[in-house]
Amino acid sequence: MIHAVLIFNTSGVPRLTKFYTPLQQSAENLTQKIFSLISSRSATLCNFLDAPELESFLNQKDADGEKLRVVYRNYATLYFVFVVDAAESELGILDLIQVFVESLDRAFENVCELDLVFHFDEVHHILSEIIQGGLVLETNVEEIDHAVQTAAKARKESFASANPLSLGGGGVGSRSSGLQTPLGWLTGRLTGVGAR
Amino acid sequence: MATNMRGLTQFIADIRGARVRELEEKRINKEMANIRKRFKDGNLDGYQKKKYVAKVIFTYILGYKVDVGHMEAVNLISSPKYSEKQIGYLAVTLLMHENSDFLRLVVNSIRKDLNENNEIYNCLALHAIANVGGQEMAEALSEDVHRLLISPTSHSFVRKKAALTLLRLYRKHPEVIPAAEWALRIVAIMDDMDLGVVICVTSLVMALAQDHLDAYAVCYQKAVDRLRRLVIEHEYAATYAYYKVPSPWLQVKLLRLLQYYPPTEDATLKNILHEVLQTIMNNCSEPSRNVQHNNAQHAVLFEAIGLAIHLDTNSPLVTTAAVLLARFISSKETNVRYLGLDTMAHLAARTENLDAIKHHQGTIILSLRDKDISVRRRALDLLYSMCDVDNSELIVGELLRYLKVADYGLREEMVLKIAILTERYASTYKWYVDTILELISAAGDHVGDEVWYRVVQIVTNTEDLQPYAAKVVFEYLKSPSSHESLVKVGGYILGEYGHLIANEPGYSPMELFAVLHSKSQFCTAPTRALLLSTYVKWVNVFPEIKEQLLNVFERYRHVLDVDLQQRACEFYALASRADDDELLQNICEEIPPFPPRESALLNRLNKKHSDTEDKRTWVHGGKDINLDRQLSRRGSRKPTLGDVNGNGTIHHGADAANDITQSLMGLDLTTSPTSTSQSPTTHLDPVSAPASMLAEAGIPRLTVSPNVERWFEKLCYSSEGVLYEDVQLQIGIKSRYHGHIGQLAVYFGNKVSAPLTSFTTTLHVEEPEAISASFAKIAPSTIAPRTQTQQLIHIECKKPFSKPPILSVSFLAGAHQTIAIRLPVVITKFLEHVKLGQADFFERWKLIGGPPRESQSVFPISLNDAGHIDLPKQRQVVSGHSFNVLEGIDPNPNNLVGAGILHMSVDGKVGCLMRLEPNREAKLCRLTIRSTSEDVAAEVQKLLHKPLSADTAHT
Repeated sequence: MIHAVLIFNTSGVPRLTKFYTPLQQSAENLTQKIFSLISSRSATLCNFLDAPELESFLNQKDADGEKLRVVYRNYATLYFVFVVDAAESELGILDLIQVFVESLDRAFENVCELDLVFHFDEVHHILSEIIQGGLVLETNVEEIDHAVQTAAKARKESFASANPLSLGGGGVGSRSSGLQTPLGWLTGRLTGVGAR
Repeated sequence: MATNMRGLTQFIADIRGARVRELEEKRINKEMANIRKRFKDGNLDGYQKKKYVAKVIFTYILGYKVDVGHMEAVNLISSPKYSEKQIGYLAVTLLMHENSDFLRLVVNSIRKDLNENNEIYNCLALHAIANVGGQEMAEALSEDVHRLLISPTSHSFVRKKAALTLLRLYRKHPEVIPAAEWALRIVAIMDDMDLGVVICVTSLVMALAQDHLDAYAVCYQKAVDRLRRLVIEHEYAATYAYYKVPSPWLQVKLLRLLQYYPPTEDATLKNILHEVLQTIMNNCSEPSRNVQHNNAQHAVLFEAIGLAIHLDTNSPLVTTAAVLLARFISSKETNVRYLGLDTMAHLAARTENLDAIKHHQGTIILSLRDKDISVRRRALDLLYSMCDVDNSELIVGELLRYLKVADYGLREEMVLKIAILTERYASTYKWYVDTILELISAAGDHVGDEVWYRVVQIVTNTEDLQPYAAKVVFEYLKSPSSHESLVKVGGYILGEYGHLIANEPGYSPMELFAVLHSKSQFCTAPTRALLLSTYVKWVNVFPEIKEQLLNVFERYRHVLDVDLQQRACEFYALASRADDDELLQNICEEIPPFPPRESALLNRLNKKHSDTEDKRTWVHGGKDINLDRQLSRRGSRKPTLGDVNGNGTIHHGADAANDITQSLMGLDLTTSPTSTSQSPTTHLDPVSAPASMLAEAGIPRLTVSPNVERWFEKLCYSSEGVLYEDVQLQIGIKSRYHGHIGQLAVYFGNKVSAPLTSFTTTLHVEEPEAISASFAKIAPSTIAPRTQTQQLIHIECKKPFSKPPILSVSFLAGAHQTIAIRLPVVITKFLEHVKLGQADFFERWKLIGGPPRESQSVFPISLNDAGHIDLPKQRQVVSGHSFNVLEGIDPNPNNLVGAGILHMSVDGKVGCLMRLEPNREAKLCRLTIRSTSEDVAAEVQKLLHKPLSADTAHT
């Protein structure tokens, strides 16, 4: 089972935190701990980290030899981190991270860190089309994208009437519609190509 | 979308603009105060609520604690506008956890959304349950979720979510889900066209099957078939290829699922699996340039190797796998090295022959010094698993050397593992003591109490070891800095066995005392207490140092620690008694050996597993451990009297009773009722047993109707005909027998104008030791409208049997339907004709003699319209049951006499004679069967009796 999905940038600021197991301690401590474990690892080391240190954070009953593993991947300025137990295949999770990034990329057209900040709700919706309750829901990027689009459409339809100030729009990919967001200082792209 | 709320965007931009943390906090506090006020004032419209809740969520994501907005989130959920509903659900899943009181308020809104006609609403609701659902939701909503999962009108994206949601509810509250009864219906979805649905349902099945292996047994063949279609037939939607690998996720899941079941006995499935695994391994022989492609392919490969190891460690597949693994562990890619070592540890933990792995021992030991700690951990696990008597000294030596430089996080586990290996594979006592003491002195703080307890236990129970142990531990104590654990061991061993070495130079009582006492001041109170006990033992054996010892006691009589003081006072009083007093001697009697018990070390390493989480399919350690584990898993699946004798293993009722009485009286009770420990499944009758028990055991409930019985009876004495028919399905049979082997061709005809999907056939044999039946191949999962499909069944008769195999057929045609019927495979099918003359016949007839080898019955018969006995029918039944009807033996032409030889592969051949004497006037008939086997005689009599008798026959 997947216990947590975290995204933070290279300075340790969390951009997405999603826990599928209730936490024993504060989420901030956990992300800091994971960040300190991961950021010290050089790029040539493997993408897996045994994490007995983390067990006190997650309400993990002592299963027999059951160890949590951290599977992470670094894309440009962001770390994508999954905390999983032994029932998951490590490489499978690595694939899943790639699927997640590709789905984000589809939804945001060349996703960057700022998209994750300003569209945090959307990122959660996309994640919820991939993982549900700690289990993999869908791995097919087409399907994920389709589901995200359907939801976006439904939202758009209900949106105009809900927002008296709305300038219309609100579908995925229309992130700059009528609003001045400081998109100028893009920190970097994190599309799948250069991923390790 | 968040950015369409201007206030929110501004808020986010402000926070991003904050240059220092304080400014950021200030901005957030201001916003929260504002939101709190707005919420308090009330009178907000949906848009405003949504905006404020979104701000709260954003604050939460930044890592701040939030305590407002819960109620508003609950309100948003019941909003009719999707955008508001969505933010409401997002807030609920992020801000609340499963025990939150607010969740009670949303149960009804969620149920409403589940029952809504709008699938997007269904999805939101399902997703919320899957994230925060607890016991209460499980009780209230599991039926609704299940309905969405199985409803034929559900969209596949709803069913996917429903499957995972159901899984979540099952994990949280297994009692509310009738897992066994839903088994067939749920497994049927594994045949779905949409691979996304299959992935989710496989996850669900995997969790349920672990707790209900028998009920979900059908999933084995489904998984094998799906793998075949993916890997060999390449039958999948193009979008499910991930970098050219067909849905690696699904493959991994299926391969993992198969590892929860014991290796299959079915030859057909075995062959397919072999082919699948072979193909997967071949696919990986050429590494590709693309990282993602490689990852995906390896993910599947490692799981496939895992399955190959699980199926049979001696198969050629595993040999291939070992070669691959050897290449992986010296790969340049760290990920591959890591997984190679991990999988090799799996192999080492299961295989009987470690040679292939030992070949690479050097590489593995080198991996202990890999630059990546993750790899180092895997190498440690592997070394632990691959250790045996031959290489234990080398491996333990390496581990000890590595221990001194190992990461702190790793040390405690290493100490435990070294201690276990040293104990398990010790070749000499000397080596054991040397190693374990070196371990204690080297690892110090990382040595748990279990380790030194165990040393004491072993030294106490091994007399030859005692003098040597005493000497060595003394040498260790002489070094200037010894760890406290070492002092404890030393205190204990020298106290008990110091006198064994006291006569040798350098080990005089005075020297022992001086060295041990010099450590005392650095130790904690419990250790000092232990040392006091050592001293009192010495008072008994070393009168020459009594004075010094009394001195110590004297001083300790005034310390503050209660325990120390009490001991000192008591020991002082004891030691001060007259020299000829026997009390001290009696008290300081040498301790008796410990009763043999399970090593506490292993217990610590293999802690109990939790209930509904996915279990590991293997643990680190040798194959014995894994075998034990499998047995105890099987034993614990059906809880019996439970944990009676306290050491963690579960015994069946009778054994436990035995244990208790034996330990109480030490008597040999040979009359204990062992029969009660039999598995309960053997007593279940597929017609009358309660449905839930049948489902749990995976036994299909027999379909009952007068027609079914008539068809069955007819086929018992004919070789082809209809076995079953209803408005949708027709099942016909053609059969052929030769000796103890039989072959059945079963025809399934779809009579309706829609396809039958998820078509599944399984065979259930109640007496597997007497008869075996298996399909030649897996049935196609779909039968097109108005077509027929044929399945071959191979049958082998091993011993006399009375329960024909059950064929169960299930399919989806709108609803899910299951038919279970007995196959017309009865013991007389394995009779072969034999020709006997009159003299021969009667000679054998007499030789066999009367009961119990004779079975006889008298029953009424009905006459035909003309008032005659229906001789042709009788003849048809008798010869249909494969008896050779012998002419001219019985003087009465109406009587029938027959003979046959029953062929069985295990019990060999058994002769069988029959005589049928109808009487027209009395409308009665006498049937006599004589056979060299009582069971056969009784069974054949029963079979022939049934169609002939007027009371029981179906005409």
